[in-house]
Amino acid sequence: MLSRIRYTFRETFDSFRRNATLTLAAIITAAISLLGVGLTLLSQKGFDNLLSKWEGGVEMIIFVNAGATGDQLGVIETALGNADQFVDTFGYCDSQCSLDEAEVVLAGEPGTLELLTADNIPTQFKVVPTEGTDVELLRQLEGAFSELPNVFNVQFAEDQISLIGQLQDFFGFRLLLLSVFLLLAAVLLIWNTIRTAIFARRREIEVMKLVGATDWFIRIPFMLEGLLHGIIGGVLASGGLWAWNSQWTSGVAEFPDGSGFAALVVTDGYEKQVMLIMLVIGAAAGAIGSGIAASRFLDV
Amino acid sequence: MIRLENVTKSYSAEVVALRDAGFDIAKGEFVFLVGPSGSGKSTLLRMLNRQDRPERGAVWVAGRNIVDMPPSRVPHLRRNIGNIFQDYKLLLEKTVFENVAFAQEVIGRPKHVIKQQVPAVLELVGLAGKEDRLPHQLSGGEQQRVSVARAFVNRPLILLADEPTGNLDPATGEGIMRLLDRINKTGTTVVMATHDQRIVNTMRKRVIQLDRGVIVRDQARGVYE
Repeated sequence: MLSRIRYTFRETFDSFRRNATLTLAAIITAAISLLGVGLTLLSQKGFDNLLSKWEGGVEMIIFVNAGATGDQLGVIETALGNADQFVDTFGYCDSQCSLDEAEVVLAGEPGTLELLTADNIPTQFKVVPTEGTDVELLRQLEGAFSELPNVFNVQFAEDQISLIGQLQDFFGFRLLLLSVFLLLAAVLLIWNTIRTAIFARRREIEVMKLVGATDWFIRIPFMLEGLLHGIIGGVLASGGLWAWNSQWTSGVAEFPDGSGFAALVVTDGYEKQVMLIMLVIGAAAGAIGSGIAASRFLDV
Repeated sequence: MIRLENVTKSYSAEVVALRDAGFDIAKGEFVFLVGPSGSGKSTLLRMLNRQDRPERGAVWVAGRNIVDMPPSRVPHLRRNIGNIFQDYKLLLEKTVFENVAFAQEVIGRPKHVIKQQVPAVLELVGLAGKEDRLPHQLSGGEQQRVSVARAFVNRPLILLADEPTGNLDPATGEGIMRLLDRINKTGTTVVMATHDQRIVNTMRKRVIQLDRGVIVRDQARGVYE
């Protein structure tokens, strides 16, 4: 068993050495395509962060001063309940909920985030309008709500928010499409690399078959080779993603507070999940490309 | 050990490699397959190690009809069959030792067995002391000895040799034949395709003659003709 494992790894690394140029090309293509996938996921997360406070069809947010009493909150609730012609549902986001949200939205503005506490952060009523009620209709209610006691501010889902949503869809889809094409190219390149490796070693394979090596014994080093192409590509892409995210995070920190880019920073460990996803996709692409080649071209 | 029953193989409507070929070869026999180029000698050898399959007929090796043998069993069949070729089929970047060890390594023999058996077989074929040479550092005869060592290292029941002396001068060819004879005397069945008249006439072993895919002669202690 040990000798087989030793043989498999020796053959795999010999093949890497013999096929260095193609191997490098396959790994770089895999790395670029996986980086594309990673950046797509990361940018989607950034957009999600940006839009997080407007999740669930929320079109209007009433910010209430910290320290508002239960009675004052009750007055706002009653006012919202009475506007059932325009308001479908509404929910209250207390100080802890608002702090959690701020951690996402203000991830790129650590200075501002530090100043916020449960005692000073405004709480929020998030309003989902009835179907058929657009923002302009809701705006007509702004005056009525902003005059209620302890209401700090009333915000509406601006056109910008819809624009961000559109941008998210536009870039997300196209980036993903590009990544899929690049990934396909990586699979094909790995497939071709393995095919070339098999062709280069056809004499050896012929001898192996004649002396009684099983097909799996012959296949496994080639499949391992492809798998390593994908995994190494994934590791390089993860490094690239980490570098990109670090640069982006430090870059956004330099922007003036309130620029709106703060939410596009991903700092909650999601980037590590993306790296893991890239490694898994890389391994799968490598295994698929080399598996097909090793099964298809072994009859040399 | 080997039995062919009405074996027919054609590559196209016009090219019939074997036509109703049939014979028995007993364990430990030494058999020459003779005939002109294209008479079906190599096709017949390819049938015996399941590199090829007939359209009709049965090929029995060591008591099993290998025509319908599942592909997963073929490697196990081949572990009992050694192969020698006219062009040696050595791995050029591997040393003599590694070439022979390769045949054991790919069927999972442990390292200590390889270290013990490879030098012994190299001694048998007269290549002791040349373990570290690469094939291009050897003469044609020596390369063929490496090929014989590789074919014999797993102690196969059958040795198939396709024109093993075809690329060698007569004296070197004789050396290879002496080696095959020695291996045969250990009990290994040897089937050798050749059109080397001198060797066949000298050895006086059983001769099966093919002509355009048909067995036209099967003679004990035969000559080439």
